[in-house]
Amino acid sequence: MIAIIKNICLIFFIIIGLGKTSFSQTPTKHIIEIKRMKFNPEELHLKKGDTVVWVNKDFFPHDVAKFDNHSWQSSPLNQNQSWSKVVTKSEDYYCTLHVVMKGKLIID
Amino acid sequence: MKTIKNPFSKITAIVALVILTTTSVFSQDKTHLTDPEVASVAVVANQIDISYAEIALKKSKNKEILKFANRMVTDHNAVIKQAVALVTRLSVTPKNNAVSQSLIENSEKTKKMLNNASPEEFDKLYIDNEVVYHEAVITAIKDILIPESDNIELKELLENVLPALEAHLGHAKMVQKKL
Repeated sequence: MIAIIKNICLIFFIIIGLGKTSFSQTPTKHIIEIKRMKFNPEELHLKKGDTVVWVNKDFFPHDVAKFDNHSWQSSPLNQNQSWSKVVTKSEDYYCTLHVVMKGKLIID
Repeated sequence: MKTIKNPFSKITAIVALVILTTTSVFSQDKTHLTDPEVASVAVVANQIDISYAEIALKKSKNKEILKFANRMVTDHNAVIKQAVALVTRLSVTPKNNAVSQSLIENSEKTKKMLNNASPEEFDKLYIDNEVVYHEAVITAIKDILIPESDNIELKELLENVLPALEAHLGHAKMVQKKL
């Protein structure tokens, strides 16, 4: 009887544990606003697998691209258009249209 | 004794002239500007930089210069579009004035210099002028146009344009270093 109770408790804790693990790994969506020629925030700390959405609030077109080899790049975004990407590693990026605009994605 | 001529001495002289004319235009007028006059100066200043870029697009073969010039056409047209939408909404007609008139007159001299520049000297002359012009316009917006604007939306538009001009200046300086 004690063995059965022990097994039930064990299964219970395993289920709870799995549930907690899967909950903590749920990807988060982060918004980066492009406003007044800046990425806000310029430096974003996130978890591997999180999604980043860039939203252009300026009336100038902007894009986002990996600095500086363009291994990924959005198309030009007009005002209120957005573009998203799942982030798997820390990366620097910039706007190829306004080359002084730079941002950082940092996986913690 | 032979003197060695600096190939950039002519460019330096031309750029010095551009600096003098551009900065003097913005600093000469201490009189009060009305909102329609501020709007006129803002539109004219953007149109002038587009006209410089159009010359660059015709004359330059340099990839960085062409990229920069295309950016100037797109961004300054976007500013003009916003300014026109604003003055239309406010039922204000931009009014020609001494500052906008001086800007136009001086830009004619600069355009003549750019058009007459040889292919060897053009890129440097164009980008040096862009650095000087953007520095002068940034100072003018901060020190003259924003303080002179009474309408809050006009003031906000000018404040929103400043970061773009500063980004253009940074871009121009990057291109300048590469030449």
